[in-house]
Amino acid sequence: MLGMRAMIVKEFRELVRDRRTLGMLIVMPLLLLVIFGYAANFYVSSLKTAVVGPQAAQAAKALPSFFDVTVTEPSGTQADAETLLRDNKVDVAFVTGQTPVLALVNGSNLFAAQSAVAALNKAGSQVKTQVLFNPDLKTSWVMVPAIIGLILTFIGTIITSIGMVREREAGTLEQLAVMPIRPSRVILGKIAPYFLVASLDMIIVTVLGILLFSVPFNGSPFAFALGAAIFLFVVLGLGVFISTISQTAGQAIQTAFFFLLPQILLSGMIFPLEAMAAGVRWIGYLLPLTYFTMISQGIMLRGAPIASLWLPFVVLTVMAVVVFTGATLRFRRDLAPGRPASPAGSQPAATETVSAA
Amino acid sequence: MTYSVRSATVRFGTAVALDDVTVEVPAGSVVAVVGGDGAGKSTLLRALAGEVPLDAGTVETPPKQRLGYLPASSGSWAALTVTQNIDFVAGIYGLAGEELAARRAELLDRASLTHAAGRLASQLSGGMRRKLGFVMAIVHRPALLILDEPTTGIDPVSRIDLWRLVSEAAASGAAVLMSTTYLDEAERAAHLVVLDRGRILVQGSYDQVRAGFAGVVTQAGHPVRAEWSWRRGRVLHEYWPGGDPSTPSSPSAPSSPPAGAAAVAPDLEDIVIALSLARRNAVPS
Amino acid sequence: MTAVLLRASHVTRRFGAFTAVDDVSMQVQPGEVAGLLGANGAGKTTLIRMLLGLIAVTSGRVDLLGGPPDRERRRRLGYVPQGLGLYGDLTVRENLSFSARAYGAAEPALPPALTGYAGVLVRELPLGAQRQVAFLAALAHSPEVLVLDEPTSGVDALARAALWDTIRAQAERGTGVLVTTHYMQEAQQCDRLLLMSDGRLVAAGSEADIIGSTTAVAVRTADWAQAFAALNAAGAPVMLAGRAIRVANADPAELAGVLRAAGVEASLQPVPATIEERMLMLARGSGAR
Repeated sequence: MLGMRAMIVKEFRELVRDRRTLGMLIVMPLLLLVIFGYAANFYVSSLKTAVVGPQAAQAAKALPSFFDVTVTEPSGTQADAETLLRDNKVDVAFVTGQTPVLALVNGSNLFAAQSAVAALNKAGSQVKTQVLFNPDLKTSWVMVPAIIGLILTFIGTIITSIGMVREREAGTLEQLAVMPIRPSRVILGKIAPYFLVASLDMIIVTVLGILLFSVPFNGSPFAFALGAAIFLFVVLGLGVFISTISQTAGQAIQTAFFFLLPQILLSGMIFPLEAMAAGVRWIGYLLPLTYFTMISQGIMLRGAPIASLWLPFVVLTVMAVVVFTGATLRFRRDLAPGRPASPAGSQPAATETVSAA
Repeated sequence: MTYSVRSATVRFGTAVALDDVTVEVPAGSVVAVVGGDGAGKSTLLRALAGEVPLDAGTVETPPKQRLGYLPASSGSWAALTVTQNIDFVAGIYGLAGEELAARRAELLDRASLTHAAGRLASQLSGGMRRKLGFVMAIVHRPALLILDEPTTGIDPVSRIDLWRLVSEAAASGAAVLMSTTYLDEAERAAHLVVLDRGRILVQGSYDQVRAGFAGVVTQAGHPVRAEWSWRRGRVLHEYWPGGDPSTPSSPSAPSSPPAGAAAVAPDLEDIVIALSLARRNAVPS
Repeated sequence: MTAVLLRASHVTRRFGAFTAVDDVSMQVQPGEVAGLLGANGAGKTTLIRMLLGLIAVTSGRVDLLGGPPDRERRRRLGYVPQGLGLYGDLTVRENLSFSARAYGAAEPALPPALTGYAGVLVRELPLGAQRQVAFLAALAHSPEVLVLDEPTSGVDALARAALWDTIRAQAERGTGVLVTTHYMQEAQQCDRLLLMSDGRLVAAGSEADIIGSTTAVAVRTADWAQAFAALNAAGAPVMLAGRAIRVANADPAELAGVLRAAGVEASLQPVPATIEERMLMLARGSGAR
């Protein structure tokens, strides 16, 4: 009995010192509670709507408040309506000038679409409903593009951070610091294999998703690859950053998990962003996965052109630059603590010491 | 070519790791640094490697291409084989093809590692792993070789091997700076440096250090002054820094050994301990 | 108190096809310091683990304090492993408190050298202090037998001397101590030595018993680099010592011939061999190291 009490006391003491685990024990449940309380909501309360065609304004006024009309184009055609939907500007587009009125629903926003279809069914024979991009409103069609992003995030943060922390744990980081290899080369050299593996994984999952679930790929593969590459840089940069703040692989995994969990719950993958309380929704807009999901869903389901996806592309590019630069600077501090940041292209030795023959 | 740190001072926050330290490492010789925890050995080595910035003083060190470094940790990548480890490091220094193959074979043979070439580094014994680390540090024929406690925790036979490798490197013209806790290794070096809490207690060749040592060391079953004595084998040694008539002496703080006390010829271990105690007990020396 | 504290009788341990320990018999008496020497891979750690009851023997018998090494008997044992066995993320006080309570002993008082470190995390201590704490933890329950695996590795001369003071003090109180070490000077501090090589106990007794019939020749020359290279190339078991080169188990005439052929002027002198030279000869005899 004596030994067990001593064991309990010791474990508690070690636990209290372990900030990261404590964080997980205390912060995580609170976070989950808040998220599930405020974010978990499958019901979308209002839909962005367009009304296109003759007497659009009058028709707009006649719609129930559930449809939040943001675009009215009296001179627009059905093609215009479809473009609006493809560019994800609205969730529903009414095309007037015909009986019954045509309601086009954006099937790539699953919950919005489901809410729309439910509301439109009440209108009966007055409205003909057509769901674009995901006619059967299949969950898998919306999930697969998001899961591609999740896999990239997983490999980018957790696996990369472990790979980089290994050097620190083994004590070989010091040796690399003394060798004539520049810190940026070390990082790129270490990341390259993960970049390749992640890209391969992504291709496999995309192909499998298409084969198993018949998920369409309506857009440009080039645009998709570009978006994926930029996103990879963001998550790989996160992985490097996590490795610079972790001493062991265990810590790296814990920290990576902190970054991963919010992205699963708040990127719009499971709970729609529009349905979240504003107090929590802004977090979603800070997460890289949110923007990649916009790109993957847009391209695969709606065949959206890059131009309409300019926002997520730009945001991801900015994130990539910021995260990667920050991570590299931190890593360089670990690798070359003594040497000042050398001007591009010159050997660090020249700045501070007398070079010998 | 002589590499050096001159009047080097290094601070980590408020702690002074090195205090006005000057050490020269000429080509073709082995300089050994000894000292206890916190003496500053690793800091000195890393300063010469250019890894730690100086708060004062200068460093003369070759560019990274001509520097070889063996850190106090393992020095090799556990998941790679012996051959793969050497290839990786050689690749960074620009060795390839036939030149690499020949150099690798030569080094493996000299380190008696040829039979283990295909083994994972993690499966090597401590001594073999250290020898591998050494091979990796000299694969590119560096002008300056820095070794941080290369023989700590290694069995005596591997230690002999490592010392032979170090001697060969120096004989081929490299300047070698190594830290060690083994005083018999320090004795074999051309020049030894004794560090204590960031300062140099004494440096020179073994003969110079012995000649310059002031005071007397006696041996007895029981010490007269506990804070000036230490255990050597079955007996206790004691240090008397005075032994010179101009040094004041009193019954409570005698500076000369009592008549009839057995004096011993101090070896390096005695000298190092004696000087550390002198500094600790704050005798101006 | 039982007469023999630790005993191995014809102990063998195999791991598959590999024999780690081969028919070893030894014992440790109260009040003596026994030094266990050997190259890495000689079987020292495996033997110790069998003596402590951490792994089973393949054949033979092990006695700890007069019986099989079970948990009750281990209560009267103090053990400091190579890795110290301390918790890096706990303070000195907390570590000592834990191990004292685990053994049902009172928490030991800190010696003057360590009082300043009481609230410091062990992983932040210098190595010498860490080893002292590990010692304290092992001695808190006044064990009758102490097993120390490389207790002074990496520690400077002054701190090493202090640790050996503690070991001696324990032996004088009647504790039996089994120590492994790579420092040959420390071998001289032991009452008795045991030399293992390739799993076997090849020598036991005093330093002279360990050195056995190994001989050595000292080569004094101004041109040590040349002499070293020549003798090394000839395959002689050569090592450096101070200003001189030493060659183990060599025929002075043969050496003279090699040196003459290399054009090196040197004087040769037979000298007493050291333990390291015995170990060197054993290693060369067994081939792979």
